[in-house]
Amino acid sequence: MFQESVVDRSLSGRRNLDLHARLWGVEPRRAAKRTDELMAIFDLGDIIDRPVESYSGGQRRRLEIARALLSRPRVLFLDEPTVGLDPLIRHELIDVIADLRERTDITVILTTHYLEEAEQLCDRVAVMHLGEIVGLDSPDALLGSLGAELLELRVSDDPIAAIDLLRSRRLAGDDAFAVGATVTVPLHRRRPARAIAAIEGLDIETTSVSTRRTTLDDVYVRLTGNRIDR
Amino acid sequence: MAVASIAVPTRAQRQKRTGAGRALATLSRRRFALSARTPREIIVPLVNPVVFALVIAPALSKVIGSFRPGLDYVSFVAIGTIGLLVPINTMFAGLGVLVDRASGAQRELIAAPVPRSYLVFGNLSVALATTSLQVVALIGFALLRGAHFSASSTGILWFVAAVLLFAIGSYGVAETLANRMPTQEEYIGVVPAVAILPWFFAGSLFPLSTLPRGLAAFARALPLTHALALMRYGLGVDRLGVGLHDIWGMTNVQVMAGLSLLAVALFAVAFTVLSVRVFSRSALR
Repeated sequence: MFQESVVDRSLSGRRNLDLHARLWGVEPRRAAKRTDELMAIFDLGDIIDRPVESYSGGQRRRLEIARALLSRPRVLFLDEPTVGLDPLIRHELIDVIADLRERTDITVILTTHYLEEAEQLCDRVAVMHLGEIVGLDSPDALLGSLGAELLELRVSDDPIAAIDLLRSRRLAGDDAFAVGATVTVPLHRRRPARAIAAIEGLDIETTSVSTRRTTLDDVYVRLTGNRIDR
Repeated sequence: MAVASIAVPTRAQRQKRTGAGRALATLSRRRFALSARTPREIIVPLVNPVVFALVIAPALSKVIGSFRPGLDYVSFVAIGTIGLLVPINTMFAGLGVLVDRASGAQRELIAAPVPRSYLVFGNLSVALATTSLQVVALIGFALLRGAHFSASSTGILWFVAAVLLFAIGSYGVAETLANRMPTQEEYIGVVPAVAILPWFFAGSLFPLSTLPRGLAAFARALPLTHALALMRYGLGVDRLGVGLHDIWGMTNVQVMAGLSLLAVALFAVAFTVLSVRVFSRSALR
């Protein structure tokens, strides 16, 4: 499934499915049965005979996934399937993909910039940077590399100088990083209250200090952030 | 990110590749459903040539009379308008390729387990069908307006072969341009130069012999010139093959007709091969 919608918009959803089945060599009777199954799974029954140009973004995406499944592939590539969709439709589609993952034994390869989708849907996540895989593991293992909790400081001065100072006082390890004016420090086994108290005693001017759960976004920034972690 | 991704068919499905005939029929049906959904889409390209055959040709005939004894100008121009109808219709068909690429299912079709050339042939078959329908309609209108055609069965074969081969070549030009042009605006910009300009030089409204020598030489290189001379010879508008003589300067009409047919056939083959090649390459972008 492509990043942008790739359908014959002036044809009906059924016609799009039919064309795909014929070109992929699915026997007509089997294709009709499979179309009925997929219509039920993806809730396309009410719209299947309407021109695709009248579909919402989410309906079109569901049709495209159904179309890709018509020929019973063993691997399904989804290229940023939720890009450009509003949050409601996006979550609806994530549910559809999650359901597909549970129901079938198809290998789904999903590319996405929304890392919470990867965390939610994937068994293994590969982080790509400049054409290379810079991290490959289960979401839990990737998250574990930064620990469960992070300390986040918004600083008024140079964030790199702040990181250097934190490292010199052993309050931050090599995995601390900065994005803009925000310095992120993985806590690992340190206690948040103790870390905050220690930082308050340093010569770092902060506008806010908080702790939060580690996300795959943090892992991504850490793995790809050579521009910012100087 | 511009990564093309596909739902990979299983090995069994790959082995049992879609039958060629079935795939071509499917692609043709798809193109027909997309580009000839309403009568309007078939009738609109007919308007200009029909107005030409019904209004302008008889008016010109009245003013000019006949520039050659035994030649009916209304019939002469009626055939000439086919030289306008075919390129316009095939260029319109080429627009479908651009739409397919910009907002249609082209990438889905490219990922299908069928040869890419089938996509071009599927489009071509529909362009040929609509063009043929329009040519038949045009001939019918011309007959109603007083054109005279007296063709033998062999003559009809010359005519049909000339129309079909010229339409195939013209569609090849359209498909090639559609795959080379980045936007619809640019494509539409070249339509007059490709579809209309040659028509003025190809003996559509007047015989080749009336052109200055340099322009006549240029006209002889145009496939349309050969196609029109053949069509007129085939339908008995130019029974003596004077148009063919203007091109080849020979006396044997059959040989000249054969040579002109060969010229149109070469045009058809060359641009079909080129269009398939250009499409296959552009599909990889």
